[in-house]
Formats: sequence, structure tokens, C-alpha cells
Amino acid sequence: MLKPIQKPVVKREYTFGERIYLWEILKGLKLTWKHFTFNVRASFRPGPHTVPTCWQYPEDRRPIAPIFRGAHYLVLDDEGRELCVGCGMCARACPAKCITVKRGKPAEGEEGKYAGKTMCTEFEIDMLRCIFCGFCEEACPKGAIKLGPEYELAEYDMDSCIYNKEKLLANFHKAKAEGKLKPPKKPVPVAGGDKKPAAKKAAGAAKGKAAAKAAPKKAAAAKAGGAKAKGAKPEAKAETKAEEKKE
Amino acid sequence: MENWVIALIKVVFIWTWALLIATLMTWVERRGSAMMQDRLGPNRAGPFGLFQPLADGIKLFTKEDIIPEKARKILFALGPILFALPAFSTYAVIPFGDKMVVDGKEIILQVSDVSIGFLYVLALGSMGVYGMVVGGWGSNNKYSILGGLRSTAQLISYEVPFGLALLAIVLIYGTFSLREISLAQQGTFLGFLPNWGVFKQPLGFILFMVTAYAEANRVPFDLPEAESEIVAGYHTEYGSMRLGLYLFGEYVNLYTLSALTVTLFFGSWHLPYVDMSAFLGPISYGIASFLVFFLKTAFFLWLFVWVRWTVPRFRYDQVMGLGWKALIPLALVNLFITALCIQLTV
Repeated sequence: MLKPIQKPVVKREYTFGERIYLWEILKGLKLTWKHFTFNVRASFRPGPHTVPTCWQYPEDRRPIAPIFRGAHYLVLDDEGRELCVGCGMCARACPAKCITVKRGKPAEGEEGKYAGKTMCTEFEIDMLRCIFCGFCEEACPKGAIKLGPEYELAEYDMDSCIYNKEKLLANFHKAKAEGKLKPPKKPVPVAGGDKKPAAKKAAGAAKGKAAAKAAPKKAAAAKAGGAKAKGAKPEAKAETKAEEKKE
Repeated sequence: MENWVIALIKVVFIWTWALLIATLMTWVERRGSAMMQDRLGPNRAGPFGLFQPLADGIKLFTKEDIIPEKARKILFALGPILFALPAFSTYAVIPFGDKMVVDGKEIILQVSDVSIGFLYVLALGSMGVYGMVVGGWGSNNKYSILGGLRSTAQLISYEVPFGLALLAIVLIYGTFSLREISLAQQGTFLGFLPNWGVFKQPLGFILFMVTAYAEANRVPFDLPEAESEIVAGYHTEYGSMRLGLYLFGEYVNLYTLSALTVTLFFGSWHLPYVDMSAFLGPISYGIASFLVFFLKTAFFLWLFVWVRWTVPRFRYDQVMGLGWKALIPLALVNLFITALCIQLTV
């Protein structure tokens, strides 16, 4: 239970000057004038992002975090081989069910293009359904799918919102060209290696709520909890705290 | 030149000028408010967003003209016209400069120097309320009706002190003609102050300013449109150019009231301590007097904007209380003192 906030209420009679009101208006005018002159001077400053609180969007862009979750891309390794093996873990983890993966074997003579023994013959992401949660990224055992830095995803028709494999690879090349590839994930301790995951599961169950609802979520939270430094998700943080209390 | 040609030129000029200023004021209002609120405001259309009013105008003209099904069609159509017409015609008797001599002919920079110009301004100023009431009633919308009602209630509580404050000015100058009042403000008062109305009538000036804000339906007295309470008040149901007329009329009103303030209280085209006509040629003096007058007016136009984004709106009953319990007694006291002074000095 939160306590209702007690505001300090000072009851007093208004002074004559305050009741006249005009003097108070003049004070207010002085304040707005200060803001006005400050901002006018600021807006004449050269360069982007002049008025301090305003970002003029297409020209000024806010810097995005390196772990920003924007449009997806499929990762190629340093030798230009596709990392995806078409296992479909991402499709299973996806809460919006927007990923379609078909697994297949590379054609004769094309094995060099793929890092694994298998590959995805088809990889579709329905961006109209995607909620940018990043679970696919966390579920992928090969680190083959990432959510990139791109966030201007408007299209003129719905068909172009369904990203196929070519589009996803093009996104990768674009991100690479701009030097905005995601940094590699921090190493996660192997599940079952120590007792932490079990304790965490118990804590999660005790906490119930959001973590209990979706299995993939819990898994993701457990992972994130393991790598404390990451701490990107509030649930993950909450669980880590609960665990610490138990210990 | 024929007299009527000169009159026509003056009419066309001041009409265009008032419209231009009103248009510009929408831009000033938006960018000024933005700057006061740490925003940027419309800055895309043209340099500094100066073409924004143009874009707005095009938008208003090309929008669909919607008349609500249950509205009273005639009254609904009449509302904006009744509001804008007095607003546009009030300026006719207010000067916009001293005079200009062209080809040996003296041209007064005023559309018409009516001997009862003062009353004309007062009468037309109150006429604008009909536009709101008729529009509010014709829209058949509860918010519109509330807005219309508020405007009438507000009218009777501020129009009285407005008139009384102006009456003191009439007492001092002994004339209803705005040009004669302007001419009388040349020179100095008490030896060191400019001979301006504001120094002779300080209380009258404050009363006039407060009531002028109510007259123009501006914050802190924008009760008829109070968007946080009654949507948009009397023009809730209006769209396209009908709404445009209402908004335009409001800004033209602002211009008229600012010009009236300058004429009555701030020495019209006179610069303090300097007599421009002594060293300027006939034409350049005309232009200079126009510019001086306009600069003074521009300050009061800006003050309207400045106050709007500083002060919150008064509550409905507070405006009534202010009008009846504070402004009217003060105006009467002011009138009494003025009359006494004049009686003693003359």
C-alpha cells in the first residue's frame, strides 16, 4: 500500500499585493519573458538541436542505445556465411507469432554459404505483427537474428511490411555499412551449471505474475538475470532482486 | 485627386493592412507561445515558418463546409459574419498616422474623422458579441450555447467599466473625435512627462487594459471559448472558412483594440519629447507617423500574446465578481476624481 502523499498546505491570507493581482501578473510576465528571450537566442544558434528541449526529428535524431530493438536482420559471420540453421526457435519464442521459418539443406555446392549444416530456405517476419520484444534474438542459439537500429519502418502497402530473407539480409548489410551492428551478447552461464537457475525459478514462481504467464519470458528473464550487467528488462531486474533477498 | 478616390485608397489600404497584421499575428501567437513554452512552433513553411498563416488559410478555404443537421441554418451562417463585420469595420474611425501632403492636398491618415468616433468604436465593439451569441445558438450544441451565454454575461460585466474608463478620457480631452484626442497629446505634461493619456489617466489605463482583454475575449477572460471547459465554446461546431472568419475577426479585434490603446493612452503617432513634423518632409512625415503609430500598436499586440501565455483563465464567477465588485467601483471613482480635477482646474 502506498501512503497518500501529504502535500504541505500553508493556509494564509493573501497579501494586498496578491489580491490586487496585477503585480503578480507582472512577475509572471517577467518569467515568460525570460523563457522567451532564452529560447529565441537559442533558436538563432547555428547547428542542429537548438532549442534545448526540442529535437527537430528528421534532422536531429536522438542517439539510440547499442542494444536498441528495431527492424530485424539476419547475421552473416566474418566469412560471409549465414549463421541461421533454420531451427525455428525464434518462431517458437515469438509471442506475436510473426516469424515463419522453413528449414532445409543447402543445395549442392552451396554449403560454403552457410555456417551450419542446415539453413533456412524461407525466413519471413510479419512486421505488422511484430512487437519488438526481442525474444527471438534471445532464443536464437546461433545468434543469427538480431533486432537492428532501424526504426523508420513505415511502408505504403501491407505486403512490403512482410520481410523476407533478402530484406533481412539487406538490413544486415545496411547496419554493417553504417557500423551499427549489435555488440555480441555477454556470455551467459550455462543453465544447470550452478544452482542459480533453480533458485531463480523458485523466486519466479513465488513472484508469480508476469513471469509465470509465458514460459519463454521466464527463460529470457532467467538469462538476463544471470548476466546482471545487462539488466535491460525491468522484470529481469525485479527477479534478480528477489533472488538476492532469498539468498 | 478626387476625394472619393483618396477615401477608397485609404479604405483599401487599412483593410489590407489590418488583414495582413491579423494574419501575421497568428504566426506571432504560435511562435511566441512556443518560445515561451520552450518549444519551437511552426518553423517549416517558409523562412521561420512565416508562410504558416498562408498554409492555414489555404487549408481553411479548401476544407469541407459542414453545417450540422440540427443547426439553424440561417443563424449558423449569420454568426461568423456578424462577428467579423464589426471587427473589420471598427478600424474606420481610428487613425493610423497623422497626415500626408501630396500635391498640395492634405490627406489625413484615418479613413474618416467622425466627430463621434469614440461612440462608434464602443458600439461596434459590443456588436461583435452578437456574432458569438447567434453562432452559439444556431449551432444547436450545448457547448456552443454555453459559450454564447458566457459571452453575453461577460459583456454586461465588462462593458460598463470599459465605457466608464473611456468616459474619463472624454472628460479630459472634451471631444469624441479620436483624431482630436491624438492631436491633443503632443508636447509634455507637468513639464517632464510626455503629454500622453496614460500619465493623465493611470487608473483609467489599467481599467481600460483589463476590460480590453475581456472585450477581445483573450486570456485571462476567454470564457466564451474556454477550450478546457466547453470544448471551443461558441465556435465548437464551426469549420472551414466560417471558423476562419471567427479566428480572423478575433485578431482584427486585437489590432483595433491595440490601436485604440495607443490612440487614447500612448500619444498616437507622437514620439515623446520630439516633434517629427518639424524636421521631416510632408510625405516622409506621413510615413514616419504611420510607422511610429504601428510600432506602438505592435507592442500592445505583443502584450496580448504575452499575457495570454502567462496568465491562467479566470473562473466564470471570478470574472463577474471582478467586473461588478472591483472594476465598476474603481471606474466610478476614477471618473469622479477626473471630473473633480477638471472642475477645479478649468
